[in-house]
Amino acid sequence: MQRAFAFKGGALPLETPSVPASTAPTTPTKLWFCAYLPNLPLEASGADGSARVIVEDQRGIHRVLQANSAALAAGVMAGQSSNAALALLPDLIIEERCPLREQQALEQLAAWLETFSSMVNIAGPNLLLLEIAGSLRLYGGLECLRQKLVDGFKQHGMSVSLAIAPTPLTATWLARAGRRVCIRDAANITRALREIPVTCLEWPVATCEALAGMGVKTIGECLRLPRDGFARRFGPQRLLELDRALGRLPDPRTSWRAPERFCADIEMTEEQSNSERLLTICEQLLQSMQRFLVTRQLATQQLRFSFFHLRAPATQLIVGGAGFDHRAEHWLDLLRIRFERVALPEPVIAIRLEGGRHQAMQSGSASLALQGNATRPSRWYSMSQLAERLAARLGRQSIQSVSTVAEHRPHRAWQAQTAAGVVTGWSNRPDSMSRPLWLLPEPAVLTAQGFQLLNGPERLETGWWDNDGIARDYYTALNPHGHHLWVFRDRTRQADAHHWFLHGLFG
Amino acid sequence: MDRGALDSLLHNPRIWRGRNPAQGSAGIASGYDLLDQHLPGGGWPRQALTEILTEHYGVGELRLLMPALVALSAEDPLADFEEPGWIAWVAPPYQPYPPALQQWGLDLSRVLIVRPKTDAEVLWSAEQALSSGTCAAVLLWPNQLDDQAGRRFQLAAEKGNSWAIAFRPWAAHAEPSAAALRIALQAGSKGTHLHILKSRGGRPAVLHNLL
Repeated sequence: MQRAFAFKGGALPLETPSVPASTAPTTPTKLWFCAYLPNLPLEASGADGSARVIVEDQRGIHRVLQANSAALAAGVMAGQSSNAALALLPDLIIEERCPLREQQALEQLAAWLETFSSMVNIAGPNLLLLEIAGSLRLYGGLECLRQKLVDGFKQHGMSVSLAIAPTPLTATWLARAGRRVCIRDAANITRALREIPVTCLEWPVATCEALAGMGVKTIGECLRLPRDGFARRFGPQRLLELDRALGRLPDPRTSWRAPERFCADIEMTEEQSNSERLLTICEQLLQSMQRFLVTRQLATQQLRFSFFHLRAPATQLIVGGAGFDHRAEHWLDLLRIRFERVALPEPVIAIRLEGGRHQAMQSGSASLALQGNATRPSRWYSMSQLAERLAARLGRQSIQSVSTVAEHRPHRAWQAQTAAGVVTGWSNRPDSMSRPLWLLPEPAVLTAQGFQLLNGPERLETGWWDNDGIARDYYTALNPHGHHLWVFRDRTRQADAHHWFLHGLFG
Repeated sequence: MDRGALDSLLHNPRIWRGRNPAQGSAGIASGYDLLDQHLPGGGWPRQALTEILTEHYGVGELRLLMPALVALSAEDPLADFEEPGWIAWVAPPYQPYPPALQQWGLDLSRVLIVRPKTDAEVLWSAEQALSSGTCAAVLLWPNQLDDQAGRRFQLAAEKGNSWAIAFRPWAAHAEPSAAALRIALQAGSKGTHLHILKSRGGRPAVLHNLL
């Protein structure tokens, strides 16, 4: 019955399958943007003007998979053996296809696309899908957004074929077919797909050949076939794909998520030992880290660089800041200081950068330049940056800020914090008697005689509760050399009763 | 040579002109009137290196500086909307005692203490702090300070609009120095004497019982 109906050849012979109403797509507002990257193997390998081909092992022979324009101009063609290509162009750069690198390039693009939509999907080895219905208003309409995406792909050095359609599969097939179309209304899908060749579906070769044998060359002809016969011949999966493309069945996609921690590496074509060149490469890594962090509004406190050598184990370099920061220039500055003092055992072949703990980015308010005073140049960078620079070279424990503690025992009346951040010093009640500007680390027995007591005693007898009690009489004294001393007598031990101890200098 | 070129030459602080009082910016009031009278600009030289030579530490070199440091660390409502600069202590020989600093009125939240391990690191840290533009004053206790390092500090202090104070042993008084001001402190039973050994734009002098 169905077949009879189908063969009569209506405009839409495939009848609507019995889908429960709830699972049918209820939100027709979805709009999918598909980017098809046909030249990804070539473009992922880096772009410079010299003639370059990507070769792939095909039945034991290295054959040219893709060639760039310079190579094409010299007559190199896809499918040639690499020897034939070399004969045409002796300077040709030949690279083996590297799927890992393609995957990395694709993920890099996906991470960039995350700025446009929360729904990014890597649909295949050279396909990116982006749901853009929710982003149209933000980017000022479809045309603006599309232009931004086109420009962005161009900046990334990727040649791309784009299509926009209400279902992901339709967008994919249109992009593969190279149709630069934009379909917003689901009712127009069938018309747009009608002329698309079946080869764009990337179905198994056997299926395509069978269809070709039946004289079915386009999707429109495919749709004219009876449903149950089609499913029997080619499998229900194929029918499902067609239904999904037409929007009759939902096509859920998982959204790709970039890793939460930044990790990237750069592999060099030759060993490198020049530190300036290495820093330039590190700067590239830091730039991409900055993009990564800004997209997520994060900042990081610590970075780990790994410098890989050919024979020696990798050199690890951990660069830490006092605060969280995301700016590449800031980290490059700290790295430069650390790098001066690192001895690399061997030339470097690859560099990896891993981000440490993240925290939400805090942007400070920039001061108004109008208030600047001409005679007083503005403070170039903040205190925490200076502390970071110093800590990067001297070590964190070498940088201190101090504050007072409400405590009578002199050696406990202050504390030091490592690596100055902002100290929340609370103003203490000053001691009634004056205190010396220099404090000795430990009280020293005063052997010299002949000093003159100026002031005192100040009796400090406290701390008996925590086994660090003191009972001392403090005096200010002047010695014959004219030094003002802070001395005390210990009252706890009889043996020490006649000794004077020096605890500070009034400086 | 036209008049303007001559004027700009005469305004160069490196040119010492007999009796003329120092040109250019006013100094940082030292808090000791007698000393201010003898210093060109009426106070410690800004954006320059000051050397203080002592036989021992603790003869009063900090007391001499404290009033000026307190003024630098204090919020200056008239200056502009910037926060006051920091006061960095690089390689102090003992612990600067926070309760005493507070008694003098120094804002402890603006104090940064740096303890490098080697001589080279002392010089490097001080130069970083000086040129950073965040420190109003940098106090340093170097083991070595040759002429070249002194010149670097001088430049860094100019760049970062900071005041460098180097504490050095008395034995260094014979060495040449790029400092804008060199002062020797001598404590004795009869009080502390202050010698102005070198003062750019000023004259050597001896002040008795200043502290």
